[in-house]
Amino acid sequence: MIKIVFVFFLSILGSFTYAQNPSCACFIKGVVRDQHSGLPIVGATVLIVGQNNGVFTDQQGKYQFNNLCPGAHEIECRIVGYNPFRQKLDLTAGHEENFTLQESEVHLKDVEITAHRTDAPSSQPLTTLSGTELFQTRGENLAESLKSLTGVTALQTGSSISKPVIHGMHSNRVLIMNNGVRQEGQQWGSEHAPEIDPFVATRLSVVKGAAGVRYGSDAIGGVILVEPEELPFDKTLSGEVNLVGFSNGRQGVASGTLQGRVKGFTGFGWRAQGTIKRGGNIRTPNYFLDNTGLSEKNFSLSAGYRHKGFGLDIFYSRFDTQIGIFSGSHIGSVTDLLAVIKNGEPLVKSGFSYNIGRPNQNVTHNLIKAEAHYHFDDGNRIQWTIAQQLNDRNEFDLHRPRNDSIATLNHPELTFKLNTLTNDVVWDHKPIAQKITGQVGISSLYQYNLMSGRPLIPNFNQFNIGIFWIERYIKNNWEFEAGARYDYRTLSTHRIVNRVKVSNDFTFSNFSGTFGATKNISRQLSARLNVGTAWRAPNVSELFSDGVHHGAAAFEKGDSTLLQEKAINTVGSIKYSSEKLTIELGGYYNYIADYIYLKPQPEPILTIRGAFPYFKYTQTDAIFKGIDLSVGWEIIKNFTLTSKLSYLRVYDKRNDGYLVMIPPNRLDNQFKYEFPSFGKWQKVSVSAGNLLVARQKRVPANSDFSPPPPAYSLWNIQAGGSIPISKKNELEINVSVQNLFNTAYRDYLNRFRYYSDDMGRQASLRLKWKFGV
Amino acid sequence: MKMNRKIIWMLLFGVATLFTQCKDSGAVVEPDDENELITSVTLKFAEQGTTNVSTFSYKDADGEGGNAPTKFDTITLKPNATYTLTIELLDESKSPVQDITKEVAEESDEHLFVYTATPASLLTYTYGDKDVNNFAIGLTGKAVTGVAGTGKLKIQLRHQPGSKNGTASPGSDDVNLDFDLKIQ
Repeated sequence: MIKIVFVFFLSILGSFTYAQNPSCACFIKGVVRDQHSGLPIVGATVLIVGQNNGVFTDQQGKYQFNNLCPGAHEIECRIVGYNPFRQKLDLTAGHEENFTLQESEVHLKDVEITAHRTDAPSSQPLTTLSGTELFQTRGENLAESLKSLTGVTALQTGSSISKPVIHGMHSNRVLIMNNGVRQEGQQWGSEHAPEIDPFVATRLSVVKGAAGVRYGSDAIGGVILVEPEELPFDKTLSGEVNLVGFSNGRQGVASGTLQGRVKGFTGFGWRAQGTIKRGGNIRTPNYFLDNTGLSEKNFSLSAGYRHKGFGLDIFYSRFDTQIGIFSGSHIGSVTDLLAVIKNGEPLVKSGFSYNIGRPNQNVTHNLIKAEAHYHFDDGNRIQWTIAQQLNDRNEFDLHRPRNDSIATLNHPELTFKLNTLTNDVVWDHKPIAQKITGQVGISSLYQYNLMSGRPLIPNFNQFNIGIFWIERYIKNNWEFEAGARYDYRTLSTHRIVNRVKVSNDFTFSNFSGTFGATKNISRQLSARLNVGTAWRAPNVSELFSDGVHHGAAAFEKGDSTLLQEKAINTVGSIKYSSEKLTIELGGYYNYIADYIYLKPQPEPILTIRGAFPYFKYTQTDAIFKGIDLSVGWEIIKNFTLTSKLSYLRVYDKRNDGYLVMIPPNRLDNQFKYEFPSFGKWQKVSVSAGNLLVARQKRVPANSDFSPPPPAYSLWNIQAGGSIPISKKNELEINVSVQNLFNTAYRDYLNRFRYYSDDMGRQASLRLKWKFGV
Repeated sequence: MKMNRKIIWMLLFGVATLFTQCKDSGAVVEPDDENELITSVTLKFAEQGTTNVSTFSYKDADGEGGNAPTKFDTITLKPNATYTLTIELLDESKSPVQDITKEVAEESDEHLFVYTATPASLLTYTYGDKDVNNFAIGLTGKAVTGVAGTGKLKIQLRHQPGSKNGTASPGSDDVNLDFDLKIQ
């Protein structure tokens, strides 16, 4: 899919007629132009927030607001495909010195705005993690990093494998856009974490709700955007070093970025980035978990070129991880599982070790991407992105083969090689009547999977083509967005049944649509509503699973007659923001027709390891509805309370019941004190908080070996700040303790809840050194 | 115009790359001969003092999934008799069929068979073999039946690499079958 990160400048010029005259005769004017081409952007909307005052940039990219009163104003700039950008301006304070100037027009500020282009639907909730908030999650994996956002949780397999869950949906129902390319790994597996190094990104965003029109299949629950910074085309050498230490698992993470331009080669920028991570056995409050270490080595390289309207970016990244799987989670039969549950703690005991033995996963993910775009003088823009991904996943069982000659080969018991090629072309048409902007695009995906070892999923070839069209209309304080998409997919599978090859062919096709509206009601209040659809084809494991899922002690059987899932999601939100109080309330109602899930069957299945509960992939109609609430309140000066509530209810409509593995409701409260001054230090703050996770009471009867774990409450504290060393050098520090009281708890969405407690106290130290020459 | 032509070339190149990568994943699919399965368990009860041998088995030739097990015998034995019990494990999903009993014997210090009769009065099992660490294995042993009755005989193969200590608790099940047991 297409998303590029690019930067434009918005120069803001202001003027006063006369200082002693506070009448409403100020004006703001400026030009919105593209950074690399220097061309003015035609048809960008510039609004004064909270006033019924909005203009479009003209053919020269210019805009002007007249007759403004002195005081604080906030201007907002919107262009299709960009996050809205806001800038506060004070038209009186602090600029008296300028009034002695004779010129009638003075520069108030020359503001450099870096707005990141994103294709996220404007009427859907978009939450972004960047800057200090992102820094506070450094060293954690992608899903853990996003957990602080409302409506987002993580599906875990122990503490090292996490998958993001948005509004109760995960795996193939959440799409991850890694640097503009849809991440294609073995997402169907709940113990297959996204193969992405969060250090690649300077922004992590979550689009909540179905966004199938822009992103294609799988965007049912939401989309995660992993976005790096724009390349430094006009900046000198700079970089940053991040060091993170975690007490639990005695884990260390080091990551570095170096970037710059090339002297004598105008318009060229480059970046090199790498991360090393090493951790040992995790400790719960009362015991270590055997074989839970991990090792990760990632790097990425990028280079780009800009000349007038033309731009080219090339990006390569390699993610390489080795993750130990808690050996106490290996079970052979239901008897084994019931024995661990009855014991209350793991039967396998361990001390601390960095050693990663069997069972483990070794995964590498290579991504190479080239993206070219061209801005036409008249405002049209075309972009083409081509990317190839190679996902190589190797899983080793606890037991080596008994046969010595095979055992010495030490081959993984499961190997998946997934090769994906994506192509996207998007045309942003020039604004029509300065009110309508839009884009048309075509996306294709070609993919093949080669599997060897214990038969689990078939080999397959998959081809997908999608075309979409989205238009956006802006008038006064209203903004409307509508779009449609058509996808066509073919899938050929090949597997061995009784030593004979069996091939199957499938085709899927689907229409998606979206309609949204945003209204800025007043200076403080805005509201938006979006109705969107999305779809996903059943994945190969849902079609062809036929065996015991050992982590779950369940016999899972696929169904090759499954139809695609279709979601219709309505999401609405209201945002109020004043100086002291910010409230964002969002509600959603996601109806999923033909929702695929594992339905418990009445009779168990007999295998050589005994009888296993029998689950069959079945379709139902499901309703996911919930509320996301976040409140920021400055109670007294510099002392704020941030509360986040994620509330979700899920129904199985056809069977009038509940569904399994739905995240329980949670409430997160953080008190924070920001020091107004602290010597040379800046942004110094201390905070303390609590996370309350309720018990999941709404589960189907008789579908689990043990009931959902009880509610739990975890406390955390944190302190941080930054110190400028020189003009371009800055050191940022953060110290935090999670699970402060070393509470023993189990989480419903952690698949290891049968076997062990969750992670105990975790102290972490984070350092970031930003440097430049 | 020059730029437009460039773009057309770019697009053509993009379309071309779409087709250069094609690979038929069906051409390389082949049976898995490396991962061993246990597909059948056969119990041989040789009555002491006679030449009578009774054989009972569980058989699921294609392993779990696919076709259902084809054989799951009821163990029928005489009351108050003494049998020599040997066990045989096969992987019939491979060609040729693999003898897993041999593999277990070679790695006897990692394996333990556990025989549990319910009710316990139906059958008493005594191990007849020992591994290098002097722990029982259970490939061969003595089974003494009690009075007539019916119940279950649970056969477990505990896989205990590095943790075998003579008890059943370490490790995990490679076999876990409840045979019907009839003493008559």
